[in-house]
Amino acid sequence: MSRNSLLQAAIITVVVGALACLPFYANPYTVTLMIGMLGYVTLATAWALFSGPTRYVSLATVAFFGIGAYTCAVFSESVPYVLLLPIAGVIGLAVALIVGLSTLRLAGVYFVIFTFGLAELVRQLVTWYEVNITGTLGRYIFLPVTPEGIYWQLLALATATLLICWGVGRSRIGLALKVIGDDEVVAAHCGINIARVKLALFAISSVIITLVGAIQAPRWTYVEPAIAFNPTLSFLTLIMALLGGANRLWGPLLGAVPLFLLFEWLSANFPNHYSIILGLLFIAIVFVLPRGVLAFIEENWKRRHNGKIKAVPGVAE
Amino acid sequence: MSELLTISGLTKRFGGLTAVNAVSFSMERGEVVGLLGPNGSGKTTVLNMISGHLRPTGGTIALSDHIISGLAPHRVALKGVSRTFQLVRALPSLSVMENVVVALAFGRGKLWGRAAEEAALAKLDEVGLAHRAHQAAQDLTYIDLKRMELARALAAEPELLLLDEWLAGLNPTELRTGIDLILSLKNRGITILLVEHVMEAIRAVCSRCVVMNAGRKIADASTAEALANADVVTAYLGERHA
Repeated sequence: MSRNSLLQAAIITVVVGALACLPFYANPYTVTLMIGMLGYVTLATAWALFSGPTRYVSLATVAFFGIGAYTCAVFSESVPYVLLLPIAGVIGLAVALIVGLSTLRLAGVYFVIFTFGLAELVRQLVTWYEVNITGTLGRYIFLPVTPEGIYWQLLALATATLLICWGVGRSRIGLALKVIGDDEVVAAHCGINIARVKLALFAISSVIITLVGAIQAPRWTYVEPAIAFNPTLSFLTLIMALLGGANRLWGPLLGAVPLFLLFEWLSANFPNHYSIILGLLFIAIVFVLPRGVLAFIEENWKRRHNGKIKAVPGVAE
Repeated sequence: MSELLTISGLTKRFGGLTAVNAVSFSMERGEVVGLLGPNGSGKTTVLNMISGHLRPTGGTIALSDHIISGLAPHRVALKGVSRTFQLVRALPSLSVMENVVVALAFGRGKLWGRAAEEAALAKLDEVGLAHRAHQAAQDLTYIDLKRMELARALAAEPELLLLDEWLAGLNPTELRTGIDLILSLKNRGITILLVEHVMEAIRAVCSRCVVMNAGRKIADASTAEALANADVVTAYLGERHA
């Protein structure tokens, strides 16, 4: 390991350690805020793990998030708490594999529409089941976990997600993803098994998203399909990843933190105009920073230093 | 001599259009064969079927003793077939070196890390592009893109190399360089099937030519004979010149 990467590892360890100690000196509001923020950091990073390099824009985030939350709600009374996360992960994996096998042949806008439809489909299925079989739409979640416990779980998951992304980015499979994003025909002719690579990454990304839902579920106490499968979550995740830059390790994090804080502030101060401002922000980000803040800064840096820019098509283009 | 590629009765229909109609020919190891014909005669379709990009409607393609027709392109690639494309297909978000590393990392050698980078540099050096290894692929000129694509195809250490109009669109100096490059590959014993319109290049590098017209094979002979063939002249220039 070079001195540079050792330094990086040290900084990350210190930051994660400091964040882990946060509940000991912060007030409950801060912990709640941090739970939301860590949730979105993890969601955006996991989303970008698959969608960033492949440019397969997925709006299925909330489908998996909701599956995680619902698994927690359904099994909270019958299964010990420690087993809830593994169960949610396995269910998320199964759904991801089924969805992946049937959809990853779709490209471009068809994939986007399908994933959006998938989230709605899962929501309607759950609603139908609850109304016709269970007989009641909402569910209560009472689990023996404190906000601090949730915070630590999310911090661990966020750290693990960033480590996975870092590992994938340096590995053969990370290169395969970039090649697939650039040109699937070349990818196949170079010997890359496109379907397998896409499926594997979609599954990893989906399982992480499912786990975020399962970890955060106890915060709600009460869930119903409209809450757990709210499509805004998919769009927020997407726009956070795009703002930071979906092709970079730290991009989604750098997009998620400021946007999450901004949305918190907006929903507290402009509750009635929140959706309008959100929509305008989406448009602004896609128009002004299609490749993300990090790429924007890098391009301008390069332009100033050697008068050349690299115009790689962004996810949003 | 041993046969490397055997194509028999190869057919491709797109709806009612028969693009390739019962074409059969074979290539021996180390041979450089030109696949010629007027525009729309089905040459690229034949290449696409060999590389697995298109699935044949009928007929078989065999590499050595293995049937490769109908296999997915990544499996054909792993059997030892690599190609360039009629319209250059670079990977724009990668550097020139990474473009070549891709073929090494996922090809039969499965090289990675420093070993892959060194091998990629060696391949780039072969096509005269080592000095641009760290540039972005999208900043290259047209001839350099073609060179990079060739380096990527060669990096897979192919048994059979398919070149689809690799020399098209080059100026006379570049063409000379291109021909020399192909000749050097030929001298190293690489088996090459090339679709080409540049006659100068065909005469210089191909020992034999297969000529197609409207989906059918109309000639299969040594280059000089094939180009003098009455059917071939008719196909290219019309009845009056035959």
